[in-house]
Amino acid sequence: MFWSLGVVAVASGVAVFVVDSMARATYALAVSFVAVGATVLLLEQDYVGMITVLMMIMEMAVMAVYMIMFMGMNPALMPMSMVHDHRRAVVAGVATFALLGAGALLVPWPQRRGAPDPDVTMALGETLMGSKMLVMMTISPVMVATIVAGIVLAAPRGRYDRFGDDLRGRRADDPQPGGVGR
Amino acid sequence: MDVRARLTSAAVRAAHVLVVEAPGGWRERFAAERAAAARGWTPAASPADADVLVVCGAPGDDLAALLDRVWDQLPGPRARAQVRSPTGAGQALAEAAALLADERHQRRDARERRQEPAPLHGDMDHGGMDHGDTDHGDMDHGGTDHGGMDHGDMAPAGIPLASGGPDRDGLEMDVLHLSLGPVLPSWPAGLVLDVALQGDVVVSAEARHVGGPTAEGHHGLEPPERAAYRVDGVARLLDLAGWPDAASRARRTRDVLLDGDSATGHRLLVGLRSRVGRSRLLRWQLRGLGPPGRPDVHDRLLRALARAVDDLGRDAGDPGDGTSEDGGAGPDGLASATVGLELAAVRLVVAAADLDRLPTRREVVGG
Amino acid sequence: MADVSVVSPAWAPAAALLVLGGAWGAAALDGVLSGRSTGLPGRASSRRPVDEVARLMRQRRRTTVRADGLLWRVGGAAMLVAALLMVVVVPLGSWAVADLAVGVVWFNTMDVVVWAAVWLAGWGANSAHSLVGGYRFLAQALAYELPLMFALTAPPVAAGSLRVADIAAAQDGLWFAVWMPVAFGVYCIGVVAFSVWGPFAPAAGADIAGGVLAELSGVDRLLVLVGRYALLVAGAAFAVPMFLGGGSGPLLPAWTWVLVKTALLAAALVAVRRRVPAVRPDRFVEAGWVVLLPLVLLQVLVVAVIAVGRG
Repeated sequence: MFWSLGVVAVASGVAVFVVDSMARATYALAVSFVAVGATVLLLEQDYVGMITVLMMIMEMAVMAVYMIMFMGMNPALMPMSMVHDHRRAVVAGVATFALLGAGALLVPWPQRRGAPDPDVTMALGETLMGSKMLVMMTISPVMVATIVAGIVLAAPRGRYDRFGDDLRGRRADDPQPGGVGR
Repeated sequence: MDVRARLTSAAVRAAHVLVVEAPGGWRERFAAERAAAARGWTPAASPADADVLVVCGAPGDDLAALLDRVWDQLPGPRARAQVRSPTGAGQALAEAAALLADERHQRRDARERRQEPAPLHGDMDHGGMDHGDTDHGDMDHGGTDHGGMDHGDMAPAGIPLASGGPDRDGLEMDVLHLSLGPVLPSWPAGLVLDVALQGDVVVSAEARHVGGPTAEGHHGLEPPERAAYRVDGVARLLDLAGWPDAASRARRTRDVLLDGDSATGHRLLVGLRSRVGRSRLLRWQLRGLGPPGRPDVHDRLLRALARAVDDLGRDAGDPGDGTSEDGGAGPDGLASATVGLELAAVRLVVAAADLDRLPTRREVVGG
Repeated sequence: MADVSVVSPAWAPAAALLVLGGAWGAAALDGVLSGRSTGLPGRASSRRPVDEVARLMRQRRRTTVRADGLLWRVGGAAMLVAALLMVVVVPLGSWAVADLAVGVVWFNTMDVVVWAAVWLAGWGANSAHSLVGGYRFLAQALAYELPLMFALTAPPVAAGSLRVADIAAAQDGLWFAVWMPVAFGVYCIGVVAFSVWGPFAPAAGADIAGGVLAELSGVDRLLVLVGRYALLVAGAAFAVPMFLGGGSGPLLPAWTWVLVKTALLAAALVAVRRRVPAVRPDRFVEAGWVVLLPLVLLQVLVVAVIAVGRG
């Protein structure tokens, strides 16, 4: 099972660079990620594995939109090249693979002490975050707020464009009004 | 085989019809829609969905050529029907049903039809197998420069990829040229809107007519027929607003009004008007659509229903207040009103503008 | 820990048949309701699923110039596959095809697969209207998905477990739908939305010539249409252990109650199409983020406070 998932992940990863269409490249990447998520499931990390698969499918669906938007010329099945700076990339890739592969094979594996917790997810969570649980829980709304703030800062039309110089406009002057009228 | 015959008859029972109105053929279209609904046939949303192509009225040469291309796009088994007069609708559909069920005819049709899209020539836009005049480049968005990209041949299957242009935010975005109509459900007859789309936002639009010009003239309809015409426009708008139930209710009202039964018609119409007016969700969706400073789509919808009710209260021969406050903006006004809107809004605005129009003299006489 | 016996995988086709049967019933109900509005007799319109299947099986398949066939057909089939996989975790009484410790997350993953499916179906056809439909679905999905995900976390917070059987068992006495109405409502909105149904059908809307369905015919079209109904039924089936008490109820055995509740909820969701016009994605996005999401978050807060208070 592990080997077949590994083959699927690597093969679809290669397919990302080989296929001629941005949409196909994105979804080949999605398949690769799903295979990796399934591998995590094999490690009995149910929650982490399922969440990985969920997140990756959602991300690839949105990323397809951006890939096609920004790397435009080739949503059609036209021959294209996805790589830049070919030679250096190959060298860097092979070197990294050799380093990590050597590390995985040569570093001595630790001995298992005791038995795995019946609730693996809870145990994993406590080990990773432990006493810092409160900090972790505060971080996620802060991250969302940062993302929103970044988009607000980057938007070309600010409050003054939308509501007028004295901010007294009743309705926002948007080229495409939103549904709630804010 | 009995099973095969039963499956065929089941398939014919559930046929989908694509009803095409030639300019001036609105009475025939009402009759065709009514006959199709009476047989239990559903209206098709696109040629790929259709089994029967029904042409209402007399198409001109250019419209006939377009209809042949649409006919090519129907997957088999298919049948074609021509409704030349309102009373002939039922008969035409019955013949179409018989053709659909005729296995030998369908097999011959499948053998003899063309398997690839017709090559385009002349001033027609390139387009593959899509409705009427529509064109599909690929929906490219943006296009930044890449060193080292092998472009190769930039026209897959002979259709060039879309090229870019600045969009409303100042970014570069690819432009797709699309022709909306004349064969499009709930679309004014004979109108073609050539739009340039960026994403699904219209950047520029040009309107033209196919299948005969619309001459201006007075409206020679009797009040009940006028009310029925208005209610039909309301039904099309409701279809576009995604409320098929209210739309079929409106069509039933239209049929009752055409029959001349004013008492039931009035009751149904008042019921429809209150139902549509009460719907807050519809109001939320249709508010604010349309050029600023003019009545929006929701207002036009309610106004059309009010005028229909008003028409029913008039005596025979009363021309009524056929003029709309906009003075009937012509095709150019319509095209400019759609710039900057996205496709759904364009459809709604076009349907709402059509609500104010009554058939011209030429169309009433059936020319 | 509630008791669920996992049946052998040989029973999985039976589960698939149940879903397809439910889809059939949903289609028949929709046929009857639409027949009523066009004035057809009820018996004729209840035969509509048979007739439509016969028509679509008889209809020839077609393709467009330079369509991306692989992505197109995969997208079309993926909706039905996602629906079938969704019901794998729903316990029918005390039997389930799979008893995952993270059943809720599994359901959530399957409904995200629908994102990919509808977009691929819109993309693959190489047609303007089809593509607009696919992109419309993504815009709508971005609006309903987060409220749906948070609505799906409310029952696990109350039950203390992500396992579907545990959630069903934690409802003896008071169904979650009663004291988490906002979560239940948002969940139903999510089900209707990912089924591209009723008010959330602009991706397949009449104003873009059928949208995602514009270039489909024959068996391919049948797959997508069946997929839509199957998603409605699967969403309704999953709501039963999550919000409607699982198999609990007097007189009848648990598995019958599950089927009855699924059928009733699915019928309600099918009937929604009749009452309301479509909600376009550009008008819904703001409503989803500014109205629905805060409401659901408040609901989860209330549920969490109650769960902590209960011990």
